[in-house]
Amino acid sequence: MTLTGQRVEAGRTGLSFRLDGAGFGYGNTTVLRDVALDVAPGEVMVVVGASGSGKSTLLRALAGLLAAREGRVLAGEEPVTGPGAERAMVFQDDGLLPWRTVRRNVELPLAIRKVSRRERALAATEWIERVGLTEAAERLPRELSGGMRQRVQLARALVGAPRAVLMDEPFGALDAQTRADMQRLLLDVLRDTSATVVFVTHDVDEALLLADRVAVLGRTGVKTVLETRGGPREALRERILKEL
Amino acid sequence: MTGGSAVRHRRSQGRSVSGGLAVRHRRVEGRSVLRWVTRVGCLVAAAGLWQVLTATDAHLWLRFDRLPGPGEVAARFATQLTTRLYYLDLLQSLIRILTGFALAAVAGITVGVLIARSRSAGDVLLPLLEAVRPIPAIALVPIAILLFPTDEQGIVFITFTAAFFPVMVSTRHAVRALPTLWEDAVRTLGGSRRHVLWNVVLPGTLPGVFGGLSVGMGVAWICVISAEMISGEFGVGYRTWHAYTIVDYPGVIVGMVTIGALGWLTSSVVELVGRRVTRWLPRGEGSGA
Repeated sequence: MTLTGQRVEAGRTGLSFRLDGAGFGYGNTTVLRDVALDVAPGEVMVVVGASGSGKSTLLRALAGLLAAREGRVLAGEEPVTGPGAERAMVFQDDGLLPWRTVRRNVELPLAIRKVSRRERALAATEWIERVGLTEAAERLPRELSGGMRQRVQLARALVGAPRAVLMDEPFGALDAQTRADMQRLLLDVLRDTSATVVFVTHDVDEALLLADRVAVLGRTGVKTVLETRGGPREALRERILKEL
Repeated sequence: MTGGSAVRHRRSQGRSVSGGLAVRHRRVEGRSVLRWVTRVGCLVAAAGLWQVLTATDAHLWLRFDRLPGPGEVAARFATQLTTRLYYLDLLQSLIRILTGFALAAVAGITVGVLIARSRSAGDVLLPLLEAVRPIPAIALVPIAILLFPTDEQGIVFITFTAAFFPVMVSTRHAVRALPTLWEDAVRTLGGSRRHVLWNVVLPGTLPGVFGGLSVGMGVAWICVISAEMISGEFGVGYRTWHAYTIVDYPGVIVGMVTIGALGWLTSSVVELVGRRVTRWLPRGEGSGA
């Protein structure tokens, strides 16, 4: 089976998430308490919240990079006990390995899974082309702009056919034009996959553009979850801003 | 602007851009030549000063009347270069330093990573290493003589000890300074601890490791020469000390120059390899040697 085939097949079974009375913190600081949230397989859930509300903490918990202090965090039916390839993450500060070229960064998840060189090269070429970086394939990350680096991260996250993609304010540091381009690219890329997406942002317009549902995070955890499809956009925008 | 004038304008812009690049290229080349002239000029000036001070038997606070001049040393150097013994000493010192340094590099990187990544390894190894670290490697000569069956092994041991600590300490700090983001990225792509080690820790610490290797090479030379002076039978250090004991001062300076040249050569190799394997680091146009 080709990797492209694997991606589409894996995309059909997006991963669900459930947080049930979950609490998280670092050292003596509690960041989130009693969080309850369900993310359905294949949906795009955008988490919005003010700075310091714990959006990234929530995402790190779903990725398995941070253990819950209380309550449960489930990915599918299984408790999250650590990171795994089925939950790929895209970071705000690009998590590209600076000594690897674009191509070798994109190949990394496949190399970890011991996919043959030929298959790796084919899949990486396909994804690099999809994110529009064919001419930059042999460049190092330091030779790329912020937007290009985020494109590489996106390709690297998706090349391994994950069942969920966790995105931590990936476009937060980009200028308005690049950000709009990246949002279009993301929507385009996600069309071919049914992987679950949990996307963190503080930008309400970005949330409304990308989300199937928006979870608003406040000091006390998830304040509300809103459907974005079907309703009047402006009213929804006002409601989210009011909740923040 | 008419169509024709717009084309002419664009052409003239193109010419001015390529002309600007050519001027910039010439300036960079000019600066590079100037830097080399400065470097060589500095060495020539030092030799000139040496010549003046020794030729005039200058007796300032420092005494230059008994010091051989550059001409005398150059003549002696030329003679030495024709003898087999000179190359034998050179080879002997190089074998000793390269063996000790290679062992120190492998052990220093391994132990540095182990201590930084494993708390239990740190608990076991750190107290011992921190207790030994302040002891100058050359002070271990008596222990080396007692421990090792041959002088040769003792000298390699001294060289190893000298280079080990800078490499180990630099590696430890480099591992601890690694951004956690890289490790998180590999782990969320399905990487295990082993993958993190090979794909993040080892390549990511190379800049720090090469800093340690560079320092280690310098210290290793100091110690190998000192150890040869104390207990060697061959080697540049032994020959230099031997020249001093038979009042052959030009021979002493030939030894010193040889040590300097070898040290410079080996450090340059470490530096060059370091720059090659850390090409991914952002570097300013004017930085570096």
